[in-house]
Amino acid sequence: MAGPDKIIADIFSPFQDHINAEQDVREVIRNIIKEIEKSTRDIITNLQVIHSQSNCEYIHHGIMKSREIMQGIAKGFEELDKAVPPGEYYRYNDHWRFSIQRLCFLAGLIVFLEKGILIERTTASEMIGVSNKQNIHLDLEDYLMGLLNLASELSRFAVSSVILGDFSRPLQISKFVGELNAGFRLLNLKNDSLRKRFDALKYDVRKTEEVVYDLSIRGLIPGSLQSEETNIDTSQPGETKPTE
Amino acid sequence: MSKYKGNFRQKRNKPVMGKQGREVLEALDESNPVIQMFKSFAAELDDKHDRYERIVKLSRDITIEAKRIIFLLHNFNIEIDSKRDSILEEAKTRLTAIFQISFLAIAKELQNHNAYLYHRAFTAGMQEFIEALCFYQFVKEEKIDNWKLVNNHFQYTEEDNPLSLLFTQYDFLLGIADFTGELMRKCINTIGSGNVSDCFKTCNFVKAIHTGFLGLSYTGNREISRKAYVLKQSLNKMELVCYNLQIRGKEIPRHMLLNVIEFQDTEIDADEGFVN
Repeated sequence: MAGPDKIIADIFSPFQDHINAEQDVREVIRNIIKEIEKSTRDIITNLQVIHSQSNCEYIHHGIMKSREIMQGIAKGFEELDKAVPPGEYYRYNDHWRFSIQRLCFLAGLIVFLEKGILIERTTASEMIGVSNKQNIHLDLEDYLMGLLNLASELSRFAVSSVILGDFSRPLQISKFVGELNAGFRLLNLKNDSLRKRFDALKYDVRKTEEVVYDLSIRGLIPGSLQSEETNIDTSQPGETKPTE
Repeated sequence: MSKYKGNFRQKRNKPVMGKQGREVLEALDESNPVIQMFKSFAAELDDKHDRYERIVKLSRDITIEAKRIIFLLHNFNIEIDSKRDSILEEAKTRLTAIFQISFLAIAKELQNHNAYLYHRAFTAGMQEFIEALCFYQFVKEEKIDNWKLVNNHFQYTEEDNPLSLLFTQYDFLLGIADFTGELMRKCINTIGSGNVSDCFKTCNFVKAIHTGFLGLSYTGNREISRKAYVLKQSLNKMELVCYNLQIRGKEIPRHMLLNVIEFQDTEIDADEGFVN
């Protein structure tokens, strides 16, 4: 018959050691992520300029600043790479999942502002600073979550562009979000958080389409002044007709 | 139905894709870089989800088999001596089979994949299995192995290559917590067979485990504290049973003891219901 002392020495003491070691690792990770999150918020603040300034100079400045901060974040991920034990990314990834998703979104926004294209997964992981690392990487789900967040931000950007008098931006955004939507439809999503977030994408699609619609019925889309009259009649609310 | 009404309803319930969206879709073809990208994503996600589901299935099979083994082992005290050995023998064969077939299959699925990513798919089966394994060891030798010894079973050799399955300490401890529930049942069943000393032994064993749980510092794992609470309730029941055995054991014939105690037992349940 095993007495309580033997059971505790045999079973519970090793377990206590195990969780103590785990707590230590978590503590290190938490501190690294705290710094990363702080910088992430700085980038968000910097990029908000797109909603209030149409001046290219300002936007360019915001992007440059954000890229600079992102390089600092990459250093944080270097530390994280050392803190995570080999092969245990998914044991601890709750700590940084949200941060990486956010950074993915911000990297995607920067690339969209610069080039007008969808950020690639490799580009995203390079910008964030998690590419070619031993123990950390950019998870596909986190990348996709970032893209969905990007769509929401862009639908807001479409509205603010109009406010600022930029009538061509919404067209670009609408096409971009439309392509993104088409891409997501190819995925078989499980009933998880990504799926729920994807379900909200259609609202962003609609929002951008509505902006384009409002512009097109008033003939405000640049380069479409001749054809605007013919495009108004059949359109219904929620439907939009782009003019070529 | 008028066209307008149809459209109106659609707009209220769910946004439909407008003409622009449809045109974007139509303009997209296979060569569009975005579509190309997402096609590869789809393949990657499908692989992940399919693997996950396959592991969940294996885990469910393990759970079912483990429950059956536990049921088999509960008969140990009721059966006559000659049959006891065969029960232990059968339980051992079946437990080994789970190690060698089901868990090996999971280990193979996880080869070259990150086991922690799929851990949630098989943690339930793992815990149930640990419960059965501990129960077997307790019935046989009145002791349970430590994590290291059990973990050795999850190191396989497959075609001369070492292959191991992730067996977390949390799963081990959660399995042990479940195992005490079986001990409580066993304790009460034992009275039926009139074996009072076994009943006390079992109770002491659960006491020791309970002490261990009390000594743990905050684990950050909600399951552990939940199961530790259930464990405490099981222990309370067992202690009351042992208490009754001690003070009334001499005045009541053995075959009637169970009735007395079961009567008490229902009273406990009623009380709990009232308090909660």
